[in-house]
Parts: sequence; structure tokens; C-alpha cells
Amino acid sequence: MTAPMPDREQILALAAQAGLTLPAAYEDELVAAYANVRRMIDRLPANRPRGDEPAHVFVPTKFLPTEN
Amino acid sequence: MDLHIAQPSAGTDDLATRGITELAPLLRDGKISPVAVTEACLDRISRYDGAVHAFIRVTADRALAAARSAEAEIAAGRYRGPFHGIPFALKDIIDVAGVPTTAHSRLLPADTPIAVSAPVTQQLEAAGGIMLGKLGTFEFALGGPSWDLPWPPPLNPWNTDFLPGGSSSGSGAAVAARFVPSAIGTDTGGSVRWPAAVCGIVGLKPTYGLLSRRGVQPNTFSLDHCGPMTRTVRDCALMLAACTGHDPLDPGSADVPLPDYAASLTGDVKGKRIGVVRNWYVPEATDEVVTAVDSAVEQLWALGAIVEEVTLPDIGDYSDCKTLISTCELFAIHAPDLRTRPQLFGAKLRQRVIGGAFVRAEDYLQAQRWRTELVRQMLALFLRYDALATAGWLSTADPASPEAADFFRTRRLVTMPFSLAGIPALVVPCGFGAHNLPISLQIAARPFAETTVLRIGDAYQQATDWHLRMPVLH
Repeated sequence: MTAPMPDREQILALAAQAGLTLPAAYEDELVAAYANVRRMIDRLPANRPRGDEPAHVFVPTKFLPTEN
Repeated sequence: MDLHIAQPSAGTDDLATRGITELAPLLRDGKISPVAVTEACLDRISRYDGAVHAFIRVTADRALAAARSAEAEIAAGRYRGPFHGIPFALKDIIDVAGVPTTAHSRLLPADTPIAVSAPVTQQLEAAGGIMLGKLGTFEFALGGPSWDLPWPPPLNPWNTDFLPGGSSSGSGAAVAARFVPSAIGTDTGGSVRWPAAVCGIVGLKPTYGLLSRRGVQPNTFSLDHCGPMTRTVRDCALMLAACTGHDPLDPGSADVPLPDYAASLTGDVKGKRIGVVRNWYVPEATDEVVTAVDSAVEQLWALGAIVEEVTLPDIGDYSDCKTLISTCELFAIHAPDLRTRPQLFGAKLRQRVIGGAFVRAEDYLQAQRWRTELVRQMLALFLRYDALATAGWLSTADPASPEAADFFRTRRLVTMPFSLAGIPALVVPCGFGAHNLPISLQIAARPFAETTVLRIGDAYQQATDWHLRMPVLH
């Protein structure tokens, strides 16, 4: 179920929670960005199987030291 | 229409307008000098780039020194191969030792030279390539087109009232304008293929990991690719061969056997099975794009390919999935600067990055799971087909207008499905539309099947002459 849209103050609080407190001149940009991201998040398919591996996997051999 | 077929002449423009395939044997046999080719390109840049703005920095002295060195080596019998003496330029997010990397941004120092070249630069120079300079880009390969940055946005050489796409905008413009025969762009959601498509050149997004991304300013780690941009598929194959190779210090780099890309260009596509993803461009693309792409597909059929229409999920699914992943990874990269000096960002970069503050870890992981699902559906088609074909871009180039809306929030990108899949995708010019602007076909194949897309694209170019047209510069 889609959560209700937060108001401006709540959006700014969400940004602050992510460590992003921008000057007032950019607050409109934050609000617009929230709406854009929220539209996409609401389209994410939900209820995936517990073991559904995401696209990125960790390959430890990729991080072995090299001679280079 | 202000079009003409390129006519070789005796002047320096003749050398500047030739591609790698034409230049290589002449350079090898000592019939022309790398210095003459480099001077011809520099001369053309000096005459015309004032109107196109493809370059952020032209490294003329460095290039001429490299050209003189190549000339001496070739004369001494030490010819390195088909890229020896060939000029190229780099999107200005790719490091070159001794030259600043700006990312077209105020956030990086414009006058501080980089200490070490990116492996892709090292490989091209080791192959004998002559690096001519750094090219304009969307800011950090994302924020653009922008008019609020220290350098103007590149313009489309076919018609400078229009843009060359992005984010490898300078790369597309420079190759189309015949400033260089080859350039490297980067592609996260289509940034090699879009500018190639709307500039009427060839652009290849290789398989994820085929080219090293080390020493390249990141956009989205799990989606970033470097890719060659040239005027013919044959040139693309030669440039690709010069810059591929495993990089153990790039965790995304693939350690795979490398085929002879040029040898795969047989001109023969008989029996190749091509699935045409028509629901990605009909009805969404402009009429002229639909007509041109359908005609290109018919041409492949006429050459003997087996062509069938296939259906995949709506482009919007791939675009939203990709954009969510990117927004999150971009925020991780740019958040420190956003927190401390947001005023130095161009508005478009800042507006596209700040949304990452709102993507939860759960959303990012669900988007990655969605990516797997979408990609599995697509890859399943390669059990039946050798390649997929669709439009290279859904319209011709956009007008060069600072007032235009931010298309990233309104447009669905036909390049993004193959970005998510990480598979090779090639665009080749297949027509022209209104305002003298190019239209392109896009061909994709299974992972590491670069030879397949190159072979099909080359066969198409052998049967058509769209790639021989060149813009008239003023």
C-alpha cells in the first residue's frame, strides 16, 4: 500500500535525516526531487521471494591484492 | 536539406575527415604522417569548434609530440597496429596524466593536472593513438545540458540550433564534426548511444566490464561503461580492440578472452535471427524515427537476416528501475559535496542527485531485484535470437534551449533497457529527419557478443550510405 505523501516540512526532515540540510534556496528542488523519486519507488514490485538475490553480488576474488 | 556526401580533397580537411580504416594503411605504409593527420584535426578544431564547443581543452602540444614520436616509430619499422597514429579525444571525466579532469564542473579544479592516466587512456596510447584533448560532457556525466557551468554545452554539428545529446555530448559532436576520427564516451543509461544516435555516428556500449572504468569519474558503479564512438562500425571495431583488456584494479572488470573484432566483420548476416523490439519505439517515437528504423530493419531482412517482432516490458519499467539505482549510487558519490558546497553544482546535476536522499536501502535493493527480473526476461530472448534491434533514440536532437524542461523527469529512454542488462548495444545511423538531423538504429546482443552487434552494424553500413554524409560546418 502506498504511504501518504509527506508535506514540505516532512520532506525537509527526511532530507535532514539523510544528512542533507540545504540552504533555503534549494528547498524547492528537494521537494520536487522527492516527488520524482517517490513516483518511481511506488512502482517497485513488492512481495519478492525471500531468497531473490539482487543484481549485485559480492565476489571476494575481485578484491585480492595484485602486483600492479 | 544541407547535406552532401563527403568528397575527398587534397586539403588538410581530407585527412581530418578520414576514418581509422582509411588512415591506418596509409600511416602504416608511410604514405601519410601522423603529424599531418594530427595537424589536420587541430586545424579543423581551430576553425570550427568555436561554433560547436565540443572541446573543453585541446592538448595540441602534447598531441603533436605524440604524433612526432609515432612518426619516428613507424619510420623505424615499429608499427604498433591500426590505431598507431590515429587521433582520438576523451570525454572529460576520463583521466589523462598531465592534464586536468574537469567533469565539466566547478567541483573539480580546472587547472590541476592528473598524475596517472586511466587504463583506457593508457591502452589507447599504448596502441599508438594520439590524444588531442578533453571533450565537453553533461556535468559528471549526468547534469546537462547546462548553461550555468564554466564551459558552454556542446552543440550538434549537423545544426547548431540543436544539441548533440548526452552525456558524452562533446564526444558525439567532435566525431560528427570530423574534429577527430574517434572518441571515448561513457554510458550509464545511454550516454554513448544517445549522442551517437543524434549526431549520426556509431557508438558502442560494450558489455559491462569489458573496458576498465578506473580513472573515470563515476556516475553509477553498477551501470557505468566506457565505449568507443566513431563514424563507421569498422572503425569502432578497431578502436574497441585498442582499449579492451582486463583491469584487476577495477572490481567490475571482466577477465574474458578477447576476439578479433575486425575479423568478425564479414558483411554476412544471412540466417542471423534478429528480434525487433518494436513496442519500445511504436508509438512512442516520432513518425520519422519509426519510418527510418522500420526501413533499417527491412534492410537487414533484405540482407538475409531472419527478422521477427518481439515484445518486452514497457521502457518505463527499465527507466524507473535504472533511475532509482542511479539516484541512490549518485547520492553516495556526491553527498559530501552536496552537504558542504551545493552552490558549486550546476542546477541540473544538483536536482538529479538530491533525490538520492529519499531512496531507502530497502528501495535500492528492491530496485536491484527488479533489475534482475527485467534482465532475465530480456536475456531469455537470446535463446532464440542472435540480436535485438530497436530505435537508437526516439526522436532527433533536442533544440538548444536553456528554457527546455528537464527531460530526465519526463522522457523514457530507449537506451536504458540494454544499460540495465549490461549487454553490448550499438547505434548506427539509419536516416535523417527534419532540420537535417540524424536518426539511428540500435542493435544489442548477449553478454560479450560484441562481434555480433558489430557484424550486423557493419553489414548494414556496407549496404547503406548514411554514415558517409557529413555536416557542413560554418
